[in-house]
Amino acid sequence: MYALRTLRSQPVRLLLTVGGVALCIILMLFLLAVYRGAADGSVDYIRRNKADLWVLQRNATNILRGSSLVSAAQGERIAAVQGVGSVSPVLFLLSTVKKGGNVRTIFLTGFEPDSGLGGPPQLVQGRNIRRDDEIVLDKSFAQKFKFEVGDEVNLQGRRLKVVGISGWTNAFVIQYAFVTLRFARDLIGFPSLATCFLVRVREGADLGGVQARIREELPGLEVYDHPTFLQNNIQEMKSGFLPLLYTVAAIGAVVLTVILSLLLSVNILERRKDFAILKTIGSPPAFLWGMVIKQAVLISSASSLAALAAFFPLVRLIERVSPEVSTKSTFGQIASVVLAVGVMSLLSSGISIRRLRRIYFLEAFR
Amino acid sequence: MNGWNDQSPAACCEGLSKIFGANEHQTAAVRDVTFQAFPGELILLLGPSGSGKTTLLTLIAGLSRPTSGRVLLFGKDIESYASRELQRVRAHRVGFIFQTFLLIDSLTALENVEIVLRFNGRKTSERRKRARELLRQFGIEHLAAKFPQTMSQGEKQRVAVARAIGNDAALIIADEPTGSLETKQGFGIIELLRRLAKEQGKCVVVASHDLRLRDFADRIFRIEDGRLLPESS
Repeated sequence: MYALRTLRSQPVRLLLTVGGVALCIILMLFLLAVYRGAADGSVDYIRRNKADLWVLQRNATNILRGSSLVSAAQGERIAAVQGVGSVSPVLFLLSTVKKGGNVRTIFLTGFEPDSGLGGPPQLVQGRNIRRDDEIVLDKSFAQKFKFEVGDEVNLQGRRLKVVGISGWTNAFVIQYAFVTLRFARDLIGFPSLATCFLVRVREGADLGGVQARIREELPGLEVYDHPTFLQNNIQEMKSGFLPLLYTVAAIGAVVLTVILSLLLSVNILERRKDFAILKTIGSPPAFLWGMVIKQAVLISSASSLAALAAFFPLVRLIERVSPEVSTKSTFGQIASVVLAVGVMSLLSSGISIRRLRRIYFLEAFR
Repeated sequence: MNGWNDQSPAACCEGLSKIFGANEHQTAAVRDVTFQAFPGELILLLGPSGSGKTTLLTLIAGLSRPTSGRVLLFGKDIESYASRELQRVRAHRVGFIFQTFLLIDSLTALENVEIVLRFNGRKTSERRKRARELLRQFGIEHLAAKFPQTMSQGEKQRVAVARAIGNDAALIIADEPTGSLETKQGFGIIELLRRLAKEQGKCVVVASHDLRLRDFADRIFRIEDGRLLPESS
């Protein structure tokens, strides 16, 4: 009762504190949601690909932050390996699209439309490419830069017609765009190069056996099964994003702790006479600590509720303004943030409680 | 408590001194004070402001440590109490009344009285009942839900007295209990304290500069520059 009434006696301060703490919580929730969205979204193209094996240049582990070059001749040798059903070369390039004087970067994916491998995992609008002068753009890229099916795209000086819009192709910092392999090769001027080969094994063939045989016959290449390759790419995203996002989230947690500690400390200092009286009339230390902890819990609970109420509408708004930002929130993430807030509020209480020791009995007699 | 019975002094000071500061900045607030306070009596420590009355009260209650001499609180030297034990003694056996009442602003009258019962280890329903009883006993039951800022000075002091005896204190320490009150209200409060001593056997030690309180005291000590001067009746 005392804890709540003391907080309520300064409504503006309470409101500012709850607001500040809530913003820190929103920041932490948002960063985790961005992380989850980016970590999942950036590998959706790979996850939804139907390739059994991914074959890359030696020492290449992923396509997101690594380079790999393989030749058409190597593709032909792979196709000849026992158990291999089909081999589809795919060429990934960083390219630029011009619109109204602005240049946007895309992750251009050249694939063979007839192979059924390497193309857009989902078409949300229009159709897949059939010809070299056609392109499929990612949904969030198209939304953000106002491209629609039927529009013309200026890609490094070449004109392509947008025939489709794809889903699961937003890699957070960059978005996929799909063209024919021939067009992509022509763009770089090397007609037999690819980044990797997507291999399907024959029905009934032993995947591990095929993998081993490719490795044996083409020792200069890396051969990954689908789960391993997916994991490699997830790991690559995590190692790139995670430290940065976690650092910012940790800063949010520190700011939260500082705000809460400041409020609790100011409350103690303002009410030091009350604390001196309570000490004098026989309050056990635990009772005084309990009052400070209750205040911290009340503020962090109110802030958590406010943050949760504001978080989802805010995320929707951000995704509308910046479609390339894809977020994903899970119950586990929210629970872990709320748990972290609980720990931070206890930590803040601990910092503030130290002030109680410097309140003396005699202050009640002044 | 520790073999203490209500025939023994609730508080006993022997050669008590308290010096603040060091070297040439030393100030003796209490000098060589010896006296005993028994249950059932109201002792008046009479002296001007700065004479050392409040310091002596805090020494008696074990709120500060003497520089020399000793204080026996309920028969036990306060130096031999652990701080936790001393806190329990204050919660269970000592009541405090302050000059400016010092009620907690964010608590109602009932809660102000109840809080001391909480430190006393009573259950919620029991302490609420006892707090109401006390407010009734002092004729201020109607103030139960009121906050201190809406009460008169006299009402606040009555709530403060109710709080002081809420834990069934054997020793009541009152620092200028009438200092912030009008004459009539002041007399009402000192009469109340006297009744607590006479009817309930409490040991009441009052520090005041108000000479008009003489008539209510069983024993009077004058205190000047920290020294307790010969007792007068």
